[in-house]
Amino acid sequence: MLLNPESAKPIYVQIAEWLEGEILSGNIREDERIYSQYQLAEMFNVNPATAAKGLNLLADNNIVYKKRGLGMFVSPQAREIVRKKRQNTVLKQLVFDLVCEAERLGVSADSLAEMIQEARDQLKGEN
Amino acid sequence: MAIIECVNIGKIFQRNQALNNFSAFIEENKITGLIGRNGAGKTTLLKIIAGYLKPTSGEVKVFGHNPFNNLQVSANLIFIDEHMTFPESWHLEEIFDSIGLFYPNWNKELALRLLAYFSISPKQTHNSLSKGMRSTFHAIIGLAARSPLTIFDEPTTGMDAAVRKDFYRALLKDYVEHPRTILLSSHLLNEIENILEDILLIKNGTKCLHLPVTELKNYALGLRGKADALNQFLNGKEEFYRENFAPEQSFVVVKNDFSEAELRELKKAGISTAAVPTEDVCVYLTAQSKGGISDVFNRD
Repeated sequence: MLLNPESAKPIYVQIAEWLEGEILSGNIREDERIYSQYQLAEMFNVNPATAAKGLNLLADNNIVYKKRGLGMFVSPQAREIVRKKRQNTVLKQLVFDLVCEAERLGVSADSLAEMIQEARDQLKGEN
Repeated sequence: MAIIECVNIGKIFQRNQALNNFSAFIEENKITGLIGRNGAGKTTLLKIIAGYLKPTSGEVKVFGHNPFNNLQVSANLIFIDEHMTFPESWHLEEIFDSIGLFYPNWNKELALRLLAYFSISPKQTHNSLSKGMRSTFHAIIGLAARSPLTIFDEPTTGMDAAVRKDFYRALLKDYVEHPRTILLSSHLLNEIENILEDILLIKNGTKCLHLPVTELKNYALGLRGKADALNQFLNGKEEFYRENFAPEQSFVVVKNDFSEAELRELKKAGISTAAVPTEDVCVYLTAQSKGGISDVFNRD
């Protein structure tokens, strides 16, 4: 089960994010048909209306488009949109939380930047 | 389209008012969860909808008709609970066959396959079943009847955790293939919330809340932090629950209408925010008082 019922995020947002991840990683390609609400309902054991809400979230952001009578398809700019969206929302939020915690601990901006650089080096070393 | 319409219905049993001015409209082909505390009026409401009981006041319509004493309505609905009675000497399979006579969509093959999956022999009698198996058997009837309106009143009473999970999975799978209106009452919201589309919360015989489950998840927000810091943010907020879990420290559940900016302010003030599990939201909303059980023990 990929969904986390404890999460603050509603299930339909989690489904939308999972789909975004699949698009980002290239598992679902551009102009390819995305899972239907009924397939998603079966996969995640959720009500089809909840799954549809997740799909609509993607449609609202132009990540998928509707073809009448055929279903939803991944739009050509999907990956770019997902990347920008994640940068603007998820990453920004994470940075805000990071800065908040640093303030609480009295960590200066410089040492925070240093820590970020360290983490980057670590990541590069592992790759 | 609403296939169940309840307008101001009331039901009085001797001196006990089970339902009071209850109004709700339930749409076709949705799975709706009926949630409420013990004695809130869930079963009374379901029985009125099923036509088993006559409301004392108000009007109820199912498929456009008064369900009480109505053949057309009863042919299109099935009511499943733990008290279903069947002839004692019949095998389960014989019971299946007789149900097939009433319900045109009845799928005996599915019923037998489910029975086999749950390791219940079709040659057993209804009387010989354990409590959990009896509930399972009733639930199978509710599934395989594929009735346009299917009502489950606490279907999982006595079932073990594995069977409950399987049952809800089966219910969802069959619903996806054969959409129909399903009404489901349960105490264990976290078990069913994912398969629900709407939730109908009932408190003291009246409707408390009726909305899509996806909205309920965001309905309330839990705040934890220093009491005086917290109170600054609570002006004009609807408070559902408050607990002082340590000196000067409070946990408050409020209606979630905070703006992005307000949320950032909260973080700055060192107040942590947390999503409130849907089940807890329901508990808070249907509580009789704002405090919890701890208050009973606080005598000051």
